[in-house]
Amino acid sequence: MSRTRRVNCIIPPHLLDKLLDSEHTGVRKAALDTMLTTARLRGERGLRASFVGAASAGNGRRTVFDCQQGRLLPTATLAQSEDGAASTDESVRRAFDGLGTTRDFYRTVLQRNSVDDRGMRLDGYVHFDVKFNNAFWDGRQMVFGDGDGTLFTDFTRSLDVIAHELTHAVTEFTAGLAYHGQSGALNESMSDVFGSVVKQWSLNQSAEVADWLIGAEVFTPEIDADALRSMKAPGHAYDNELFGKDPQPDHMSHFAHLPDNERGDFGGVHINSGIPNKAFYLTATNIGGSSWGAPALIWYESLKASSIDTQFQGFADTTHQKAEELYGAGSNEQLAVLAAWQEVGIQVSGVPAGVARDLGRAGRNGAPGRTAGQDTGGAARDDGLTALNRQIDALASQVASLSKAMTAMQREHVTRG
Amino acid sequence: MKVTLEKHGGLAAAIQLRLPPKELDSAALPANDAAELAGLVAEAVSAGPAAEEDRPGRARDAMSYTITVEEDGRSTTVLTQSDTAMSPGFAALLRWLETH
Ligand SMILES: [Zn+2]
Repeated sequence: MSRTRRVNCIIPPHLLDKLLDSEHTGVRKAALDTMLTTARLRGERGLRASFVGAASAGNGRRTVFDCQQGRLLPTATLAQSEDGAASTDESVRRAFDGLGTTRDFYRTVLQRNSVDDRGMRLDGYVHFDVKFNNAFWDGRQMVFGDGDGTLFTDFTRSLDVIAHELTHAVTEFTAGLAYHGQSGALNESMSDVFGSVVKQWSLNQSAEVADWLIGAEVFTPEIDADALRSMKAPGHAYDNELFGKDPQPDHMSHFAHLPDNERGDFGGVHINSGIPNKAFYLTATNIGGSSWGAPALIWYESLKASSIDTQFQGFADTTHQKAEELYGAGSNEQLAVLAAWQEVGIQVSGVPAGVARDLGRAGRNGAPGRTAGQDTGGAARDDGLTALNRQIDALASQVASLSKAMTAMQREHVTRG
Repeated sequence: MKVTLEKHGGLAAAIQLRLPPKELDSAALPANDAAELAGLVAEAVSAGPAAEEDRPGRARDAMSYTITVEEDGRSTTVLTQSDTAMSPGFAALLRWLETH
C-alpha cells in the first residue's frame, strides 16, 4: 500500500496530464484515479486543484463530481466524464451539458479554446452542502448548490448561471478585473452578458425575442420573481414581500454606493452590474439580430483589451474603439454602442455630448433596419450619418486645438511664475 | 446564548442583502438541542480561521457567513468565514444553524 502511494507521488503532474489526454479510456481513467488518490491521500484540496488547473491541453474536457451534500470538494465522487455514460442524476447531467454548451460557444463563436484559451479542463461540482443557495467559481472549478427548496432550487437549472460562472474564469484569464467597485461590477456584468448570450445562442434566439434574464429557473415556483437579474430592465427582476424590490440601477444617476467589504458586496458588484448589463442589452437591440454576432464580439474584444482596474468609462470607450476597429468609424455597430452607453448615462470620451445624442438617435433608428432586411431610406440615413460624422471630426479637431492652446498657456504661466 | 447567522454575497447577493439574519436563542431550544449548539459553537471558536492556503482569493460569487454569539450579555464572539475558506468546525455549526 505504501509502495503504491510512493509510486503515485513521484509521477510528475505534467506526465499525469499527458496520460489524461491519452486516446485510451483505461489509461485516462487510471491517470485520473491516480491524481484523485494522491490528492486525497495528502488531504489537500489545493494540490489537486493545481494538478487539474495546470492541465492545459485538455480541450476543455469536462468532469462533473457529486459532493453528496458535503462541503469538501476532495471527497466528492466522479459522476460524469467525457468517456462514461450520461449520469442518471439530472443535476450532474445539466452541469455537464451546460459546461459543454458554454465551452462550444467560446470555441465556435469566439474561437477561444476553453476558459484559458489553452484547453483548460472544466470541472463542476454539484449537490454541494445542504440547502445551499448559491453557485460559485472557486478560482479553479464551478460549484453548485441544490437550493433550500423554499427560496431557491437547483442552480444547475439555468444555463446562463453555468455560463456566468465559467465566464468568471475567462475574465480572470483576460482582463482580470478586480472584484470590487466598478471593475468588480464590470466583472459581474461580463458574466451576465456572456451568460445570457450563451443561452440565446443555444436557443438560436434573436436579441429582440430573448428574455435577457439571469437565473430565471433558480427560484421555487412559490417565489414571485422573474429571475435574479434582468439585463433588459435592471431593477425589475422582482418586487415581492420577501426580499423587496430588485436594487439594480439601469443608469449612472442611480449608481449604488455600498461599502467595499463582504457585507457591501464589495461595493455592490452584483448591483451596479445593472448599468453595463443594460448597455449591452441596448447595444444588441440597437444592432438587432443575434447578440452573439457583432455585440458579443465587440464586448469580447473589449474584455481582452481591459485590465485589472478598468472602470465603466474606460470600458465604454474601449467598446466604442473596438466597434470602430471591427466595423468602421461611423458604422451602425459603433453608433449602436455610442447610443447604448449614452442611454445609461455614460458619455464615450472624445465624442461631444450633443453630437453623441444626435448620432445615437440616428444609430438607434438606423441600425435595426439593416439586419431586419428592410433597408428603406438607407441612403438618406447614410448621408445624414456622414454629415454628422464630419461634424464630429470638426468638433474633435477644435477640441484638440483648444487643449493644445491651453497647454501652451499653462506652460507659459509656469515659466513666468 | 443567542446565535445570529448573517449571509452575504454570492450569485444572489442583491437578494441576500434584503433577507433578515437568522436568530436562535438557546434558552428557547430543547435542552439537548441547546447543548448540541453550545458544543458546536465551542468547536467553531476553537477551530479558528480557515487555513490560509485554503484562500484562493480568486473566488467569484462565493458567499460569506458571519455568526455572532452573545453569551447572556457577558461576551460577544463574531466569526466570519466564506464558501472557499471554511474550517470544519465552522462548517458543522453553519449546517446546524441552516437545518434548525
Ligand atoms: Zn458572478
